Amino acid sequence: MASRGMITARSEAAGTVSSRRRDRWNRYLAAYLMVLPTFAFIGYFLYYPAYRALTGGFTHWDGFNDPVWAGLDNFRRAADDIIFHTAIKNNLIWAAIEIVLMVIPAFIIAALIFHVANDRARYIYRSVFVIPIIIPTIVTILLWRYFYEGDGLINVILQRLGLDALTRFWIGDPDIALYALALMGFPWVNAFNMLIFYAGLQNIPSEVMEAAELDGATGLRRLFTIEIPMVASQFKLLLILAIINSGQNIVTPLVMTRGGPGYATYTVSYYMYESAVDYGEFGYSMAIALMLFVVLIGLTALSQLINRD
Amino acid sequence: MARASTTLRHMILVAVALLALFPLALLLLNSVKTELEFSKSPLGLPSTFTWHNFSEAFDYVIRPIFNSVVIVTASVLGIVSIAAMSAYAFTFIRFPLRRFLFVMVFVLLLIPAVLTLIPLYLQIKRLDFFGISDSWGGLILPYIAGGQAFSIFVLRTFFGSIPQDLVDAARVDGASEWHILGKIVVPLSIPVLVSVLVINVVPIWNDYLLPSLLLSEKYRTLPIALVSLQGNAQTHSSSQFGILMAAYVIACIPLAILFTFLMRYYVQGLTSGALKL
Repeated sequence: MASRGMITARSEAAGTVSSRRRDRWNRYLAAYLMVLPTFAFIGYFLYYPAYRALTGGFTHWDGFNDPVWAGLDNFRRAADDIIFHTAIKNNLIWAAIEIVLMVIPAFIIAALIFHVANDRARYIYRSVFVIPIIIPTIVTILLWRYFYEGDGLINVILQRLGLDALTRFWIGDPDIALYALALMGFPWVNAFNMLIFYAGLQNIPSEVMEAAELDGATGLRRLFTIEIPMVASQFKLLLILAIINSGQNIVTPLVMTRGGPGYATYTVSYYMYESAVDYGEFGYSMAIALMLFVVLIGLTALSQLINRD
Repeated sequence: MARASTTLRHMILVAVALLALFPLALLLLNSVKTELEFSKSPLGLPSTFTWHNFSEAFDYVIRPIFNSVVIVTASVLGIVSIAAMSAYAFTFIRFPLRRFLFVMVFVLLLIPAVLTLIPLYLQIKRLDFFGISDSWGGLILPYIAGGQAFSIFVLRTFFGSIPQDLVDAARVDGASEWHILGKIVVPLSIPVLVSVLVINVVPIWNDYLLPSLLLSEKYRTLPIALVSLQGNAQTHSSSQFGILMAAYVIACIPLAILFTFLMRYYVQGLTSGALKL
């Protein structure tokens, strides 16, 4: 009797151990099955292409036949390529303008809305600044192309104001075209960024705000001593996104100017696109992409180091 | 003093809001003008209503709008279902390689899309085998991949706020992980799932490069059609701005409808505080 009891007890104990182990393995299996679709998709459509991009720069490749190893040929070519140098210069100017315009107006508007006293008014302001998102990006680009034309809206307005001397073909003048493209989209309140800043402001503990008020810190002083430091993590995220974005200006020059006049609005990524799509030089195109990638990652890392303290 | 600064605040906000809404107003006003009226006063109120602009533009953009709606809908549904599974596994299950795999997803946020544009195009072309590279599927599948990182990131943050006890209790009761995901976590997360859905709509709806490389006339999306309409209008000796503007107005309608009903989710999704570093 006693021995039978012992055997049962032992086998029960063994049963729980093995069933626990089975549970654990079932859970692992479920986890791997759950992440499998994500990794199948990103593996085929993102990681493999990224691998091709990173290695393709070291080959001569027309996109159809097998790539032929080229060592550093493409990079040497880029070092002497005047168009590439122009594209870098343009891209740096454009990026400096774009990063400021992506982040600052969105933050100012978010801060202004945040201090509106009335709940309902705050909600309405937020919604109003989100409304322009319904306009497709391509429509904004096409519309601004019309604004900048010789008989476009900006010149019409200037003529009405009697400022005929200032009128010009904004995207046809090589000294101005790049700035015209970079400054497109006035008043530059990016809804996505504005809402992220707004979220950051909302998360400032109310005690901090009250303490600031007691100390008489309002307006600009409060802005610099409390609000900007307290949304630092949002600034960091949006700065990274803005840096990465600033390397991706293809569609605007493609649709507005085809990089012209001359090479005045070539960006690095537009040149990369053109090399592959129009000239079939995939190897050279990938070498440009690789250099762009390294610079963007470097800038992102640098912005995080500077932000650290 | 306080009152004056409040007034000033409202004045600035209203002024900037009007400037931000100006392009939309301009499109609406000019979409009903005749060619002559447009060239005489692009800023004035319309004196005539030329509905003809809309009927002509409608015929031109309706098929591309249909293509875009199909592609966007399938893509965002695919993104959210797949991302929700991964986010669940990353949040609630401790499994070997979990951290490594999560970092592998997170790193994707740092890879600029232009880097992979050309090889991605070639990669989609390889699917010609299944006959999908020039059709809706040729875009839907890469878009599903592209939406993963951001969506998993947001969903994981939200899932993290669901009490772990709830999940553990269900496990003790013998519920499988799939059951917990489907019957507990997803029902609790409907608002954030809708937010992720809506946030993903915008970049896919606006994408120009990938469809321009891939699609023939039959499957082309709205942004491609609008660019080629603009090209046509310019090559015709009489430019047709009214029709262009009408086409742009029609192009705004689908997102206008979406945001009429779901703007709340867009705003909440981004103001939930999940997005920071």
